[in-house]
Amino acid sequence: MADDNATLGAAVADEPRKVTLSHVNTPPAETWNYLRANDITLTVPAISRKGDVYFALPQLFGRIECGMGDKVTEWVTSQAADATYVEVPRNTVRTEPVVVDVDADAGQVADTGVMIREGAEATVVVVAHGGGSEAATSAALTRIVCEKRTRLHLFEVLALPDAETHLESVGIVADDDATIEVRQYLLGGATQAVGLAADLAGDRARINLQTRYLGRGTDVLDINHVVRQRGENSRAHVDESGVLADAAHKSLRATIDLVHGAKGAKGDEAETVLVTGDDVVNKTMPVILCDEDDVQGNHGATIGSIGGEQLQYLRDRGLSEEEANDLFVRALFDDAVISSPTASARRAVLDRAAAVLGQEVALDLAEGLELECADTEGEA
Amino acid sequence: MSEQLLRVSGLSAGTEDNPILHDIDISVAAGETHVLMGPNGAGKSTLGHVIMGDPVYKVSSGRIEFAGQDLTDEGADKRSLAGIFLSYQAPVEVPGVPLYSFLRTITQKRPELKMTAKEFRKRVGEIADELDLSQSFLTRELNVGFSGGEKKKIEMLQLLLLRPKLAILDETDSGLDVDALSVVSRGIEAYRRTCDGALLMITHNTRILEKLTVDRTHVMVKGRLVAEGPASLIDDIDAHGFERFEREAEARGDAE
Amino acid sequence: MSDTRDVKRTQVADVDRSIYDFVKSEEGYERYADGLTPEIVRSISEKKSEPQWMLDLRLEALEVFHERQMAPNWGPSIAGLDMDHISTYVSPKTKQARDWDDVPKDIKDTFERLGIPQAERDSLAGVGAQYDSEIVYHNMREEVAKYGVVYTTIEDALQDPKWEPVVHEYFGKLIPMRDHKFAALHYAVWSGGSFVYVPEGVTVEYPLQSYFRLNAQGAGQFEHTLIIVEPGADLHFIEGCSAPKYYEANLHAGAVELYVKDHARLRYSTIENWSKNMYNLNTKRAKVGADSKMEWVSGSFGSHVSYLYPTTILQGDRSSCEFTGITFAGATQDLDTGCKVVLNGRDTTASVETKSISKDGGVNTFRSSVVVGKHADNARATVSCQSLMLDNISRSDTIPAMDVRNPTASVGHEATIGRISDDTILYLMSRGCSEAEARTMVVNGFANPVSKELPLEYAVEMNNLIKLEMEGAIG
Repeated sequence: MADDNATLGAAVADEPRKVTLSHVNTPPAETWNYLRANDITLTVPAISRKGDVYFALPQLFGRIECGMGDKVTEWVTSQAADATYVEVPRNTVRTEPVVVDVDADAGQVADTGVMIREGAEATVVVVAHGGGSEAATSAALTRIVCEKRTRLHLFEVLALPDAETHLESVGIVADDDATIEVRQYLLGGATQAVGLAADLAGDRARINLQTRYLGRGTDVLDINHVVRQRGENSRAHVDESGVLADAAHKSLRATIDLVHGAKGAKGDEAETVLVTGDDVVNKTMPVILCDEDDVQGNHGATIGSIGGEQLQYLRDRGLSEEEANDLFVRALFDDAVISSPTASARRAVLDRAAAVLGQEVALDLAEGLELECADTEGEA
Repeated sequence: MSEQLLRVSGLSAGTEDNPILHDIDISVAAGETHVLMGPNGAGKSTLGHVIMGDPVYKVSSGRIEFAGQDLTDEGADKRSLAGIFLSYQAPVEVPGVPLYSFLRTITQKRPELKMTAKEFRKRVGEIADELDLSQSFLTRELNVGFSGGEKKKIEMLQLLLLRPKLAILDETDSGLDVDALSVVSRGIEAYRRTCDGALLMITHNTRILEKLTVDRTHVMVKGRLVAEGPASLIDDIDAHGFERFEREAEARGDAE
Repeated sequence: MSDTRDVKRTQVADVDRSIYDFVKSEEGYERYADGLTPEIVRSISEKKSEPQWMLDLRLEALEVFHERQMAPNWGPSIAGLDMDHISTYVSPKTKQARDWDDVPKDIKDTFERLGIPQAERDSLAGVGAQYDSEIVYHNMREEVAKYGVVYTTIEDALQDPKWEPVVHEYFGKLIPMRDHKFAALHYAVWSGGSFVYVPEGVTVEYPLQSYFRLNAQGAGQFEHTLIIVEPGADLHFIEGCSAPKYYEANLHAGAVELYVKDHARLRYSTIENWSKNMYNLNTKRAKVGADSKMEWVSGSFGSHVSYLYPTTILQGDRSSCEFTGITFAGATQDLDTGCKVVLNGRDTTASVETKSISKDGGVNTFRSSVVVGKHADNARATVSCQSLMLDNISRSDTIPAMDVRNPTASVGHEATIGRISDDTILYLMSRGCSEAEARTMVVNGFANPVSKELPLEYAVEMNNLIKLEMEGAIG
């Protein structure tokens, strides 16, 4: 009896302790619970850091709403060995991107706060990458304050191996005339849980959020986008699209919240889903909350196969329907490489492309697009 | 007749409840330039799309043969690989697919165009230069947000890249300003010169034909080919319009 | 207007929140709260001389009602509703009549003023009128009866040996009592409503109509509508609801079960104009067979709080559904409306078009779900939802959900929210309209896709309701 207990105890000690985070990625307004589209429950490792001294971000970051919710914020801050704080001084352009590099194989957890002072411009790059075959859980929590007249370019790429899980939570606050460009590339992994909340608090603040995703095998993708439009004449343009193959399971919640007082605000959101797998589950919940009359809100969703006209155009150029579907998958990686602001991001995308599309296609991509990237950078 | 590249014989086709084309016979030999003219709504574009294999239209009788192969029942992708190219009047927007990915994919489908990514990039660059097309287009989504002229240039880019045996250009000149028109004309000339391909120009406007040596001219009215002649027929139409053919068609229709 | 709100606030403060606090007794029913006891349920059943199975069903439903909790994350609050203060069964002292002359005068006056007998003479195949908990009038044209069409109350059908087994077979099967808390309440205390049976191949030329009037203060109405449209048959059923205004909360928790068999069609039109003290927690569901069509036309104007999401289950291959709805939320109203469609059959199609208008602090929530099952090859669904904000103290939320599990399916959704553009108003005013006229004109135009789906007299009623609301003549 005593022996049994000892063995059990040892096993527990080896295995990292787990905690369950429920009601993660919950949108501001929910739908029927039986649809099971309102949230995701994640089981994540919990390392006790009792006794460690670690440094948190300035307190003001604690007040920023993050896409995955408070539970994930609390968990990340308790797990991250350290927090990184970056400040971009007033009226400067920071040419070197702020890079958050997450080694997913090692289960890294990053906690980053970026303060972009008035009139400054910065690029933030979050790359989660790995090559392992073991289950691991990584996370990145990125909170960004954009003061007046700032420009933020946020680039996120999740290029995880098939067995790994990543939590990607972002919170952004934007003051008057701040412009935010976000590109998210979710290129696979056992579970990709992604939440982004942007608070357009200032007048004329704007966000352009573009998300491209790929789900295949039994991948689980759970996305929660929340844009609060509080500033007058604020603008939100949210555009999600992706390909779901095999038995991928995706939920997307996208909310545009037109808050009382946001006169002249305009928000639109649209998702296009290409479903190619017989066992795909696709859940889409595009929400507009509207508490102001002088506003415009639109959303749309298109779920299914390639549109009739588009497919005909592609067939006229020699592609079968299956090849046309493949083109959309390849295009996702091409687009990610083209948009990658750093060599490490590009590398992560190409490694993932090699795993998904095969070495040959990845090489072709690299060869063809390295030139491309050089060109685009040259022009800009 | 085996030298004929395209042979359409006795072709009738239309949508489910609307017959459009009636008993069409048309042949194009390798390297020839043909012009298909006719008033608006005559069915010219429909013929182009039926030859390409658009499933919107059903073939009720007749055959479409290309390079000695019967393609009547083949899908559009097979016809494309066999060497037919149809340029669209209004090219379709395909969000999510960068032009580069699209061009690379359709090129890789053709064994005769096998090249490395580097060679491909070089080749695309040359053609883009020839068409006054900025290479930054390659990273943009296919046809999304392009102007009418830019879309037509992208069609020409594909034409020169794919080097088809037969190009059907459907009203490629419509809605273009003078500059875009001259670029498109240059593209067509380059195709004739470098690919030695056959050309079937669908148009109701003769200006774009000025710089081309036309072998045969066909006139379509109300879904029927009513006249066929040498290049000089174009001048006749230029001077007198389609009225004569329409009258004749009407008279024939009454007789039937 | 502010008076009304003050009164309501006092009301909310007065009642306790015991609706949430029921504890199911282990010893029996003694500890049930006063509002709803097995005794009340038994006496309802006894009064209707029901078969034993119906009493058993009621008692089981009562237990479920006490067990079930409301989801904490759901829509408008129903805290103002207290079952202890609602007498669940109020019956006028009259028997069901076949002739309007036999209907008691005060009730008859009510329906005359609502235009019901006139409509029957003009354009209906049959009419039923419910006053509080009981049907007071029921009649159908001879020629319709001749084809074997049955239009009666569920109570009467239960007394008929020919129809009792049919009711037993269908009643409570489409909307199970465990669906949600108020479905359970409904089954415990249901009373009145309609039973309609259209035999195979019969097309009912004129619509059948039921009119529901809730007159008693602080009461509930729990009518059950059961319609069976046999293969190849065709029916248009119209439902109208209204109530005078009281300050005390009223509750409507009806259930509508619609069975549309193969090659059949059912159109179900509703103009709901409950008074603004009503909690309208209604459940409607249709199951549609192969090659059949279900059409909903739904206008929601009244109620203090509504939870209303008619559901269509497209079970048969090639079945289809069209939903056309409008919701107008004015002062003190919080209306959570929409619809649900489940596409299970192959080649099924669903099209949803809804409009909502928010004014004077009214709150609109459009909620929908489109679920495409794994075997629904080539299913097609489109949802289009437009919301109009008429001022900046009102609110309009749009919460659609889609769940697609078939790769050959195609689902589209679009929604827009905005206000009437200043340009439009200016244009109309420059042509001589007053601003109020211009706004009414635009709102009527906005509502037009719904009103054009209604029979003429209902379209007129709807336009009048819009006009009333736009003029601010809120009761």
